[in-house]
Amino acid sequence: MAREVRCKTVEEPSRVALAKTHAATPSFKNKTASGSHLSNVHLCISSSCFLSGAGQDVGRSCILVSIGGKNIMLDCGMHMGFNDDRRFPDFSYITQQGRLTEFLDCVIISHFHLDHCGALPYMSEMVGYDGPIYMTHPTKAICPILLEDFRKITVDKKGETNFFTSQMIKDCMKKVVPLNLHQTVQVDDELEIKAYYAGHVLGAAMVQIKVGSESVVYTGDYNMTPDRHLGAAWIDKCRPDILISESTYATTIRDSKRCRERDFLKKVHETVERGGKVLIPVFALGRAQELCILLETFWERMNMKAPIYFSTGLTEKANHYYKLFITWTNQKIRKTFVQRNMFEFKHIKAFDRSYADNPGPMVVFATPGMLHAGQSLQIFKKWAGNEKNMIIMPGYCVQGTIGHKILNGQKKLEMENRQTISNGQSEIERCEPGCCCLSLEVKLQVEYMSFSAHADAKGIMQLIRMAEPRNMLLVHGEAKKMEFLKDKIEQEFTINCFMPANGETTTVITNPSVPVDISLNLLKREMALGGPLPDPKKPRTMHGTLIMKDNSLRLVSPEQALKELGLNEHQLRFTCRVQLQDPHSDPDTLSRIYTHLKSVLKGYTIQHLPDGTVMVESIVIKVSSSAEEPNTKVLLLSWSYQDEDLGSFLSTLLKKGLPSGLSSM
Amino acid sequence: MGETSSVENEFDDWFIESLKIYNNIHEYQLEHPTRVIEWTSEKTICVAGYSSDKNEILELLLPLKLFTDDNQGLCAERDFKVVHGGFSDGSIHCLKHIPGTRYIIVAIDYVTSFCCHELSSSNCCFLLRCVVTNDGFNSNLQVWDLGGDDCDVIKRTGVLQLKSASSDKGVKIAPGLTGGPCVLHGSQISDIQLTELTSGKPLYSMGKDIPDLLSSLQFVSGSVFLACACNGDLYVGDTRNPAGLQNNPAGGRKGVHWCMGVKTDLSSSDPSSCSVARLSSACQVVVSDLRDLRAPLCQAQLHVQRKTTSDDFMKVTWAPALDNCLAVSGFDGMVQIYDTASWRPELMEFQPLFIHRGHMMSDDQFDTSSAVVTTHVWHPSRPRTVLSAAVDGSVHVWDWVDKATASC
Repeated sequence: MAREVRCKTVEEPSRVALAKTHAATPSFKNKTASGSHLSNVHLCISSSCFLSGAGQDVGRSCILVSIGGKNIMLDCGMHMGFNDDRRFPDFSYITQQGRLTEFLDCVIISHFHLDHCGALPYMSEMVGYDGPIYMTHPTKAICPILLEDFRKITVDKKGETNFFTSQMIKDCMKKVVPLNLHQTVQVDDELEIKAYYAGHVLGAAMVQIKVGSESVVYTGDYNMTPDRHLGAAWIDKCRPDILISESTYATTIRDSKRCRERDFLKKVHETVERGGKVLIPVFALGRAQELCILLETFWERMNMKAPIYFSTGLTEKANHYYKLFITWTNQKIRKTFVQRNMFEFKHIKAFDRSYADNPGPMVVFATPGMLHAGQSLQIFKKWAGNEKNMIIMPGYCVQGTIGHKILNGQKKLEMENRQTISNGQSEIERCEPGCCCLSLEVKLQVEYMSFSAHADAKGIMQLIRMAEPRNMLLVHGEAKKMEFLKDKIEQEFTINCFMPANGETTTVITNPSVPVDISLNLLKREMALGGPLPDPKKPRTMHGTLIMKDNSLRLVSPEQALKELGLNEHQLRFTCRVQLQDPHSDPDTLSRIYTHLKSVLKGYTIQHLPDGTVMVESIVIKVSSSAEEPNTKVLLLSWSYQDEDLGSFLSTLLKKGLPSGLSSM
Repeated sequence: MGETSSVENEFDDWFIESLKIYNNIHEYQLEHPTRVIEWTSEKTICVAGYSSDKNEILELLLPLKLFTDDNQGLCAERDFKVVHGGFSDGSIHCLKHIPGTRYIIVAIDYVTSFCCHELSSSNCCFLLRCVVTNDGFNSNLQVWDLGGDDCDVIKRTGVLQLKSASSDKGVKIAPGLTGGPCVLHGSQISDIQLTELTSGKPLYSMGKDIPDLLSSLQFVSGSVFLACACNGDLYVGDTRNPAGLQNNPAGGRKGVHWCMGVKTDLSSSDPSSCSVARLSSACQVVVSDLRDLRAPLCQAQLHVQRKTTSDDFMKVTWAPALDNCLAVSGFDGMVQIYDTASWRPELMEFQPLFIHRGHMMSDDQFDTSSAVVTTHVWHPSRPRTVLSAAVDGSVHVWDWVDKATASC
């Protein structure tokens, strides 16, 4: 119950364990393979990774963190390269120990890309999790739209069964608790989380997870350089025990945004100049807005006349979200939003399906981004045969989509004669049994451009400098290729850097300081003892009783502890014998000891008692001798445990004998 | 207000202009500026920092986009990849790749006190010694292994002894053309020496006492090399014949600093095929060839306004895949390309064929007016592709549009 300690602060090492759940091996080896396909999944995965296909696993993000006894799942992503069980994380790592709800304290989703949230309904509704799921407001708004699109393509189009349903997405989203930037959310009494701006896409956040004095920061995907519609990632100097950063681009030095934009404008400009049409398949939100702002500015400046169109419905939908989440965009857009909505364009107008047949140059933004259905595919079919035209793919395409095929240089496409079925918000195409196939020749110019905004090596260093973590953990990279970066981080910041492989657990020992309350009485008593005033930088020894009760630690005086806990005090005394040669009578020797101690121990209470003892504080000293050797005195010393220091000192002192010339009074 | 918008306008103007004047341009920002760019293979380059203490040596893989001729549009890869990296304690002012190997040789300047500590604690397999000079710097040559596929760390494998006693920083290095395990180096004409890398044994040394500082050093064949002194004098040496040093005094003005660029054609033994361009700090270029290094074939006063007083970054190079073209940098934030075909033996001012202004158009807060290009190199086979670096850490890869062909 009560434990006596002799230190000022109590330090107890505790562990922060991190486990990354199983994610799969590289999966883009067979680029041309056809089969069942995921579609309409926006720019989820970095395009450059996809093309290089050289070992970097751009799979799903799903990280499990154990901190201060709490278990938190960071992201719940889907692997874009698989169509079977491997596309979802393997939760058996957790479920073999019981239900997810019992094990996990919360789930946090960093942003709406499916490789970070695609497995969420599967986890919550099919594996079973009823605890809270945290995400930012924009992510909460956009995530279900993407999940529903993904579901439609998988189930309605490809006919897969055993997949989550619309209702499951709805039920899953009911478990979501929205997060505001820089707002500390108390998950329970001990666990708190806080979101920071991550750039990357609308609503992307980094999260700080804190239990007591231990903390972890998870970055998700982030971008350290602002772009046309988003700001740069930012975080406090919050000194987390671990900073977990994605490192897919850790070994790259990024080409400037300006050159990417320049390339895009050059391609668009050249095509329009030669009278061609430009098709840009996009997802409704994200890069589309950025490219619109860019083209709008360019058109204005160059006084261009060719019309630019945006898919119907897209503008309104996008505008709605950007209006709603204007605080998530960059400063310039926020500023101009008052005067002029950056997303209401002068040169960009709503598209009508009949415009596609208009003669002359034009630029059209159309959904979906991967040309698997809908308006973008219809326009593509119309324009593909003319070599004057161009299609610019600004993002990643999954296997099996037309987008994926043409990016692989395929010049002849077998198109199924599809029938368009209007299905609520988006259109889904279904192949009719026994339909004939059309062959489509791709003559138009195909351009692939990556605008994905991820932190590169410099960005990672910048973030470390900002947050000043005690340990660094790089996920998603290839360890062999990152030895240099690890060395660099360890040398520059003198911290440890870990690069766990998939399925590997990293454990970091922390040294948190444990706060202890000290009773005022005890402090006063300590002050009364004198000595230097307390200095926060210097440790100081003091005596007291530590009471650990109701999750609090208090240091009180032993008397108070006894009283509070209703305990009786036990006396503990030490005794020892010291032999001394002193040719005097016993009482004289005692007198000489008394005089000696009086002169040595200034400021102590020393009494010569009439019962033949000398008392120094609680220490009792008696003298005896045997008749045979009257000059050999045996001193008996006895002291209580509390006066242990003084008792030991006295016994040592007396062993040295008494100085000559002491009067016996 | 007016000033910012004019800067912004200039920036925008250049951006729009860049659409027309470049086929491709890529701009990268290194964490620390480099003054060396060295090809280590067809697709990789080495860069290294030159700050006073800790520096990095990086081997970078150029983006695929730069190497695909067909279907370039399908390749979205436009980033540099750091394939190997290492740490160096001193400032790196010269870095050369030994052809046919994974080794690079690096000239490093140390602050004296630091150097001695470092050297005594190192356990290099080559000789180690340092030159202590009165300006507080000393230099040594180090050999680094770029490493293979199994590890991405560049490791130092040795330090070469430098015998010279009086020179200051600035050892120049010339690896053998045939990729032999030797390297020619020196900081002044008299201490030029050929050293075998594995043993550190000197194989050749200049017999003459010529204390002129060396500014450029290059082999033109297996054994013949050219050395350019800072005063503009050219020397032709032969490592097989230490006595046969040939001097070609330039008779240049006092206080003018010179450096040299050499174009060699290994397949031809004709001395006229080896062109030498010398660049002076007075912004003149003198072109001659091996037949007669004293008489200029042609020369030009360049159209440059110097923005720096330092001669450190002056550089002139011949285009390997274009006739008569050379690039000049080091005076300001520009790299200028000149066509020497129209130049004459008399000194006249000539306009450049092309100017790369990109380093002055940085979109960061960096004061772009003070930008100075630290180095540039040509792509070995793509005729109009140049890589350049500046003091702000920027590295640009650009491929300019030839106006003559663009207009037709």
